[in-house]
Formats: sequence, structure tokens, C-alpha cells
Amino acid sequence: MTTTEAQELLQAIDRCADEPIHIPGSIQPHGFLLVVSEPELRVQQVSENVQHWLGIDARSLLGQPLSNLLPTARIEAGLTALSEDDHNPFHLSDVSIGLTGVAGQAFALLGHRHRGQLILEFERAETSGQAYDTLYPLMRTFVAQLQDSRELEALCQLAVREVKRITGFGRVKAYRFDAEDNGVVLAEVADPGYPSYLGLCFPAADIPQQARRLYRENLIRVIQDANYQPSPLVPALNPVSGAPLDLSFAALRSVSPVHLQYMRNMGTLASMSISIVIRDRLWGLISCHDAEPRAVSYQTRTACGLLGRILSLQIEARESETLAQRKLELRHQIVHLLAAMADRDSVVEGFRHFPEVVLGFAGADGAAIISADKCETAGATPDHEQILQLAQWLGERRDELVFHSDCISRDIPDMPALGEHCAGVMAISISRLHAHYLIWFRHEQIKTVNWAGQPEKQIDRQSGALTPRHSFEQWQETLRGYAQPWDQVVIEGALELRNAVLGIVLRKAEEMAQLAGELRASNKELEAFSYSVSHDLRAPLRHIAGYTELLSEMESKQLSERGMRFLDNIADAARFAGTLVDNLLSFSQMGRSALRLSDVDLGALVASILEELAPDCEGRQIEWHLLPMPIVVADAAFIHMVLRNLIDNAVKYSRTREVAVIEVGAEQRAGEVVVYVRDNGVGFDMQYSSKLFGVFQRLHRMEEFEGIGIGLASVRRIIERHDGQVWAEGQLDKGATFYFSLPKLSYTSSLLDRDI
Amino acid sequence: MLKPILLVEDNPHDLELTLIALERSQLANEVVIMRDGAEALNYLQRTGAYADRADRADGNPAVLLLDLKLPKVDGLEVLKTVRETAELRSIPVVMLTSSREEPDLMKAYELGVNAYVVKPVEFKDFVAAISDLGIFWAVLNEPPPGSLRLKRARNKDEKN
Repeated sequence: MTTTEAQELLQAIDRCADEPIHIPGSIQPHGFLLVVSEPELRVQQVSENVQHWLGIDARSLLGQPLSNLLPTARIEAGLTALSEDDHNPFHLSDVSIGLTGVAGQAFALLGHRHRGQLILEFERAETSGQAYDTLYPLMRTFVAQLQDSRELEALCQLAVREVKRITGFGRVKAYRFDAEDNGVVLAEVADPGYPSYLGLCFPAADIPQQARRLYRENLIRVIQDANYQPSPLVPALNPVSGAPLDLSFAALRSVSPVHLQYMRNMGTLASMSISIVIRDRLWGLISCHDAEPRAVSYQTRTACGLLGRILSLQIEARESETLAQRKLELRHQIVHLLAAMADRDSVVEGFRHFPEVVLGFAGADGAAIISADKCETAGATPDHEQILQLAQWLGERRDELVFHSDCISRDIPDMPALGEHCAGVMAISISRLHAHYLIWFRHEQIKTVNWAGQPEKQIDRQSGALTPRHSFEQWQETLRGYAQPWDQVVIEGALELRNAVLGIVLRKAEEMAQLAGELRASNKELEAFSYSVSHDLRAPLRHIAGYTELLSEMESKQLSERGMRFLDNIADAARFAGTLVDNLLSFSQMGRSALRLSDVDLGALVASILEELAPDCEGRQIEWHLLPMPIVVADAAFIHMVLRNLIDNAVKYSRTREVAVIEVGAEQRAGEVVVYVRDNGVGFDMQYSSKLFGVFQRLHRMEEFEGIGIGLASVRRIIERHDGQVWAEGQLDKGATFYFSLPKLSYTSSLLDRDI
Repeated sequence: MLKPILLVEDNPHDLELTLIALERSQLANEVVIMRDGAEALNYLQRTGAYADRADRADGNPAVLLLDLKLPKVDGLEVLKTVRETAELRSIPVVMLTSSREEPDLMKAYELGVNAYVVKPVEFKDFVAAISDLGIFWAVLNEPPPGSLRLKRARNKDEKN
């Protein structure tokens, strides 16, 4: 199709959608129609074909009282019973109308009011006994069988079989409209010779919007003969309203010529549609076709209407039940997840412990949780880099509480690489402040649609009007890049989960705020305490050191050698206690002073530390493995202290080795840098690893390795101030490796960013 | 006659050790000892028990070695009064303390302290520090022009 053709087609479809089908100004000619005033019952409008049916000129009836044509007593009685709310034609009576002296014809008279106008339709009457004899027993069986069928397809199959039995149409099918309003045929019964459409998909464009609206309001529509000649109304405009007559509910309403052409193309001359309306939405249609013209009596129509209603109710009940079940299931899973998150006091931990629930909840192939630049995944997901990128993309459209797409190549065109790993994405933000997300992924599901004919309408070259396609041969289309769409109920469940998670996060934030307040207070106290302790301790220590010194200076002659040694020990102890107090004080200050972030070249830092340590390494054989190190954003002085401590330790604890081997390196990970210092020294027993980073915790005796046990505590404190982590691996006599991770910070990073 | 060093120290051990340290620095200056802040201010302002000093006019001390924590009036208050009093303002004041505490340090400098010294635990270091201080402030440091030299001369005259 060329561009111009495509444009013309679009315009034609627009025209088709604009066609005012509820006011066609004419009727199908298998009956006739009168519009009468109330309460006088004078004729206002009449269909031209009264000439054909009654041999009366239409214009001659205008302004006449209805009683001139037929006895009105029973009609008036019926009219009082006609409800204002129900627009559907109501059988008022069977009437016999004849010209004076001629035997009358029997008509079924159906009346309905719409927009303040009383519309009377006359059709050829059937025997009224038909309803009781055949229709009601059929309906009774149908209702009984309906209750036994569980599956949707079985329900529909039962309905089409029943409709076929009641109406005698050559082919009856039931179809359901999908989210895009394409109709998929679920059930079909057809006489030999009729092409089967079971499983095929009729494109949404086959039924324009205004026709769908009519289907929703008026549940039955019959076309007895696609080749009919419409009979116009006289006069065209209603004399009271001055507008065309609204025939939305008239059984005889004439239909669009496009539709008649569509029917003829399909090889159908008669058709009937029964709408399946569920919660005000046109859920589907039961559609009856016949190769020959076919009349459908009002009794049959009423029965079919009833059947349609019963079917709708049944489907609705089944759907509600399924929905309720699914909701219950989702609720269970949400509760399960929330309990896990609340127990561990961490959304991320809850996620980590129950990946199968996280995935099962949304029927997803993979899931990821992103918080503070950390990314945890479960199942099959794109790589971390892409997930973080996606989170960033989501962060730019903050106003959406839940994002979902069943085709990300269409909805997220900026990230083509993402489409290689998944096709569907659903995401909820789990923080009010930060770009933290819970994301589910679904694989591509290659979808094959069996269209009933190529779903492109064509334009009549002459008139520019839309002509429906001529071929209804199956035409297969393969759709790629689509995932199973996210159910509304799953999306709602995700939202529910989001609210609950935010509750947890919020509660945690509140707890943390309170805790922070308490901590601040106790920190202040501790600060004051450590100051006074260090101050008060320092003074006596100074005195001990001073007097010891003086004593050994002045009185050494009076003292035995042993006495002198005692004095030395006293002096040592005082000195050591002094250092202890000083370190304790600086340790407490470390937690308080603000971080000064700058670019820190870790490689250069290590080199300068090695220089500082050179005196300690004298006489030692140390093999250094210095791997390339990155530049990070951190507090340079503090990180210097950390590396110095770790390298110092490595040197110290490897001094029993003939050749000490010390390796310093770094590793880039998603969102963080991990630095390690490895030695082949005395190592440690992993069961004490938790004590390594505690204040004044030592794993070695004083005479083995000197130290006061505050180095690693300082390391931990500094790294935690940077929002990083410290850990160690070791084995007795086999060396140790100390790690610390530094999140990739920027100068503007807020280090209180911990609401999860 | 050299101007004296005024040492304000309440702790007897610290006092003894400081005196030994000053002794070892072989300063010729006399050391005047006050045991609390109020006493120190009386001495400096020639009031109370030291009212008679008003007549003797033996001048201001060469340096004030002031412990931070003192009974009655603490070191910072003494410093504040010294800096607010015109006659005392130019006296070099060295704050001696047992530990380094940020707020005190800041406060002391705001009030115009000349030096802030954390007393080392190690006795040798302590002696070295005190001796450096004494030598610097009592010998090397050149006081503001005029007054001191004059006073020194006058002091001499009067003593003689």
C-alpha cells in the first residue's frame, strides 16, 4: 500500500466511524413503522412502505389519529405498562389491520419510547403459541446445562448451539473482544457448506465505535436480508423535535451500507447479533449468519435476548470468581512477601529470601529490586547495568506509580538493548524520595494471530467510501517483541504491594529517625564522656609517667635492678594507657567530623603509604603485588587511614614469614569499588571474624603482635561513614584478606541515603 | 630583674611536675604560682590579697601559663578577662590542658590565646614542651614595643 492509499484508507475509516448509524432515516422493509404523539396518538412520522404493507400512501396517514387505522384500546392499556427506563421494543398486541372491507393482515405490534418519542413497529405476526411450545423448553434446558459448564469455551459452545436451535441460522459463532477490541471466535456451530471461523480473529476496525455503542445498548440486532431496499421515513425529520428519528432501539433500524457490503462479501444474506455485555463493556457477540434471507420473529428475538443476558451473567460470574480467586492468591503472596520484609526489617532482604514468590506474584520470568544503587535480581533478568539504566529511565517519569509494558521495544525505544533480554516490564517505585524500584520482567512470547482475512479495509475507487474486504481466508500474522500482557489484577496487586512496602519503608524511616535522634543524644553524651574520661585519665597517667621518670632518674642508685625493671614497666604501662586514651578520643571524633569528599587516587595513596612504612619494612623480605587501582570519590584523609591500617596490619602479621607476600588490588562492581589487601601472614580463625572489626578486640596475644585493637574498628567506622562495607577472609596460618567496598559516590551524594 | 612567669595550676602533681620542667629549662624568671582562676585574676588585677601589688607596680608577668580547668574561675574566663582588660591585654597567654577538645580549642583561640598546648603523657616530652614554651615566651618573644621595655627599666630602678 502506498502512503496516499494508506491515508485515504484512514480517512475512509474515519468517515465510517462518523456515520450516524442510529439515525439512518430509514428502516428495513420487513415491517413498517409509525411515530405517534402522546397522549393523542396521532401519527407524526411513518415509513414509506405502509404503501406496500397496507396499500396506504404514507403522507395520507400524517396527522391522523391512530384509531383510524386500528383499534387502540389494547394499545393504550399496553402503553401504560411500558416502562420509561426500558427502551427495548415491547410487544403491545397482535393487531389485524385491513382496509375497509378487506380481510386484515395480522401484525405483531411492538412499541418503545426513546427520547420522548413513541415508536410503533409492525411485523408479520407468528403464532404466539410458538414461545410456549418450543422456545421456553429450549431455554430451560439451556439454563440447566449452563450451570454445569465450568469453562468459558464450553459456555459459549452451549450458547451458540442453543441459538442455532432456536433461530435456525446456518452458522452461529460466539466471539470475545480482546483488549484492543479484536474479536476472537471462541465457539461456532455451522451447517455444512459454511466456512468455519473458529479460532480466527476479526480486527477491531470491522466494528466501528458507534456500532459498538449501539451493541452495548441494544442487545439484539437483526438483518433479515442484506439485499433489502431501505424504506425511508416520511417526513425525514420529526415534526415535533425537528430532528432525525433516533432508531437506536428500533428492531427495524436500517444498517450501514458498508455493513451490508461486508455481509455480502462474507456470503451472508441474513444476520443476527446478540450482545454479551459485562459490566457495561461489550465483552463479545453471538453472531448468526445465513446464506439465505431469514426472518426472526420477535418471540425468537426475545428468547435470544434472554439467552444472551443469561450467558452474560454466567460469564460475569465465572470471571468474578476467577478474579476473586486470583486476587486472593495475589493477596496471599503480597502478605507472604510483606511478612518476610517486615521480619527482616528490609525490603531487599524479603525480596532475596522469596524469589519464587516475587516471580510467582506477577507471573514474571525475572525480577529485580533497586535501592541505593544496589541491585538484587531473581530469575532471568537483563544485566545490572541495564537494570540500573532502566531504573534511571523510570526515575525520569516519577508521576507514574506503576509502569507496565508488554512491548518495551515500542514503549521504551531509548533502550534497544533491553529488548534483547525481555519484552515485558512492570515496575513500582518503592520509595517516595529515591529512584528505588521493584521491577518484573517477562520474556518475549511470539504471538501468532490468525486473522479472518487480511485486516486492512479497502476503499472503493469510485466513491472513496470504505468497502469491506472480500476475502475472509485465514491470514496469519506473527507478532514479535511482545510479552504476555500484564493483567489488570496483577497491576493492581503490584500497586497494593507498593503501598504496603512504602508503609514498611516509612515506618522504618520513622524508626530510624527516632533512633537517629536517640543516637544523637547518646553520642553527645558519649562525646562528653569520652572527653572527660580522656582528660581525667590523661592527667593521672601523666603523673605516673612523670614521677616514674623522676624516680628512676633520681633514685636509681637506691633501687635494685629488679626495682628498676618494675619502674620501666610502670612507665611502659602509663605510656600505653596514654596512647589508648588518645586513640579512643580520636576514634570517637572520627564518627563526628564531616566527610570531605574529593577524588582519591587509590594507587597514589598506596604508594605514599608504602613510603611511610618503609622504616617498618627494613630488614624484611616483602614481595609487593600492587595491582592497578581506580580513582574514587571519598574522604582522602580517612581513606588514607584505612589503607594505612590495613597495609600496616598486613606487614605486621606477615613478619613471621621468611618472604612476606602482600597484594593490594581493587575490583569494579555494579555501583561500587571493592578494595582488598591480602597477605600470607598468620591469618585468623574465621569463627572469630565477627570480632575483627570491634573496638579493642584482639585475636593475638600482646607479646606476639603489639597493638591496641582499634585499627580495624577505625577502618570499619570510616568505611561505614562512606556507606561501604568491610569484611575479611582468612585461615589460621594461611594469611588473610581484608576487603572494603566503597559505593560510587558523587560530590553531592547524601550519605544519609538509607531509607531501605 | 626578669618578669615572672605566672603559672596557674590547681593539681598539685601537675604543679610539681611543671615546676620541675620549668626548673630544667633553666629559665632565670621567677615563677609565680596561683592555684585557681580567681586568685590569678586577683594577682593580675592587683585586687584582694594582691592589692598591695598595686603600689609595688612590679609589672605584668612575662607569660601566663594557664590550666584550662580551674576551680572557681576557669582558664577560659581568666583568658577572657585578661584580653578585655587594657593593662593586661598584651600578656602572652598559653593554655595548658590535659586533652585536645575541639570546642575548648576554638573558644580559646577566639578569645585570643597565644598557644594551646596539650600536655604530653611522656615526661620527657612534657619537660621539652614546657621548656620550649618558657624559652619562647619569656626569652625569645619580643613583647609589644614601648611599654615592656620601659616597665622593665622602671622595674629595675624601683627594685634597686
